[in-house]
Amino acid sequence: MTDLASRGAPLPTPTAAPTAAPKRVRLHPFGLDGAPTLLISLATGAALIGLWFLVAWLRLVPPLFLPGPEEVFTQFLAILDDGYAGATLGEHVSASLFRISTAALLAASFGIPLGLAMGLNRWVKGVFDTPIEFYWPLPPLAYLPLMIIWLGIGELSKIVLLTLAMFAPICLSAQAGVRSLPIERVNAALSLGATRWQLFLDIVLPSALPEILTGLRIGIGVGWSTLVAAELIAATRGIGFMIMSASHFLATDVVFVGIGIIAAWAFAFSYGMRLLERTLVPWKGKS
Amino acid sequence: MLHVQNASVFFSARDGRMVHALDRATLDIDANSVVVALGASGCGKSTLLNAIAGFLPLSDGSITLDGQPVDKPGADRGVVFQKDTLLPWKSVAENVALGLKFAGVPARDRRERAEELLRLVGLDGFANAAPHELSGGMRQRVGIARALATDPKILLMDEPFGALDSLTREQMQELLIDVWARTGKRIFFITHSIEEALFLGTTVVVMSPRPGRIVARFDLDFVRQFAQERDVRAILSAPRFAELYDEIRNLVHRPHDRSHDGGDRPQ
Repeated sequence: MTDLASRGAPLPTPTAAPTAAPKRVRLHPFGLDGAPTLLISLATGAALIGLWFLVAWLRLVPPLFLPGPEEVFTQFLAILDDGYAGATLGEHVSASLFRISTAALLAASFGIPLGLAMGLNRWVKGVFDTPIEFYWPLPPLAYLPLMIIWLGIGELSKIVLLTLAMFAPICLSAQAGVRSLPIERVNAALSLGATRWQLFLDIVLPSALPEILTGLRIGIGVGWSTLVAAELIAATRGIGFMIMSASHFLATDVVFVGIGIIAAWAFAFSYGMRLLERTLVPWKGKS
Repeated sequence: MLHVQNASVFFSARDGRMVHALDRATLDIDANSVVVALGASGCGKSTLLNAIAGFLPLSDGSITLDGQPVDKPGADRGVVFQKDTLLPWKSVAENVALGLKFAGVPARDRRERAEELLRLVGLDGFANAAPHELSGGMRQRVGIARALATDPKILLMDEPFGALDSLTREQMQELLIDVWARTGKRIFFITHSIEEALFLGTTVVVMSPRPGRIVARFDLDFVRQFAQERDVRAILSAPRFAELYDEIRNLVHRPHDRSHDGGDRPQ
């Protein structure tokens, strides 16, 4: 053993000096591993539209069932100019937006406080768990007849239907947000002299905020998917109404226009919520 | 003076068994002292700290701070946790000043005091950083500054350096001695490292599990020696240090000790 004796002796120099552009390596990834998917998604979208063009051009499917893209676009321009079923496109869109926004506002202003209270208090949780767990898995179409019988065919029944559909995910997320709060964070605040009200405002609410925003995003998504059902109720305006009415006349191109408009608005809302999340909870996933 | 008198804690384990977590612990923490509780997992040292902090009621016995009974958490006892509990939505300075905010101190004074404390823990220039931008050691510095902000009568530290790498840990120990020497705060510190206990404590109490109780007490002055001479090597190579290390090691690893059969440290 000459380890001790050779201490301080010069180390052998590496044979090759590093080249100008060394080869960069990283650990072998597993699964998705955060790899970007945007370009793949865009290409898929383009391919699907291309396939649509091709099917329409080759007349593989009768246009009654699948109108071509240019037909749908022409119909879109026509509705934009002349409206549909006695109302302009703007009136249809704003009727739907009004219902969704009012319902979202109602669902949030009841769902968030109730969810927070359910996360904090066993009595509130005990009382409200049963009705919420009972009704929220029900498809809105199932209780739609009750809405009509109880609340009539005006705006009220449509907005209540949408509110009920949005309420459960918002309320349950707020509750989950409170439950995700680590007890150490509560203890830390108490040992810094927080009163119960300060604990709620400065610790509980911001801790639950990421989950609350996720709940709102899911809730608004559910709202859009319930819209057509809500507008089945004797509506004369609204995108959902437009789709249902067009289907009665086999106006498939109008159905496509309606679907496209709902998809675009739902995407815009979802994207807006993501932006809101980025502004309000920039720390999400970083702590 | 913090006075713990015959404090006992029993609680139910998840399977319904009763756990005797703390058995008639008696302990005084005087002004300007650092009392270190040392022991293996499940010896009741965290239970004792949680009781002093007011997070956990006692089954029997009493705890008083300057004559006032301790029964709930309060700003007169600053706590530094093992896992940092900084609020991710607040800046470093806002985190430090959280207790001052709760006390209703105006924002400008809070900011001033926070910057002063950040200088004390060697973090000047990080006031506006977000907690997630800091390393583990830096986050614990913020935790110490935050606990000091309300000017508590005692600092309670629950294995605060347990999750840090050994080099950072040594730096933090020296920082803590500096803070202690400058502020004169009394400190109750929990660790399972014998070396850390000997280095930091003016008093070391050794605890043993099942039931958790204090089995030995040593009064030391290595920490005062370091505060004056700042020579780690002189302390670590002192014969008295090695003797105490062996003696405590034998106490912690006594043959009847069954601490290896599963840690049930109360959280």
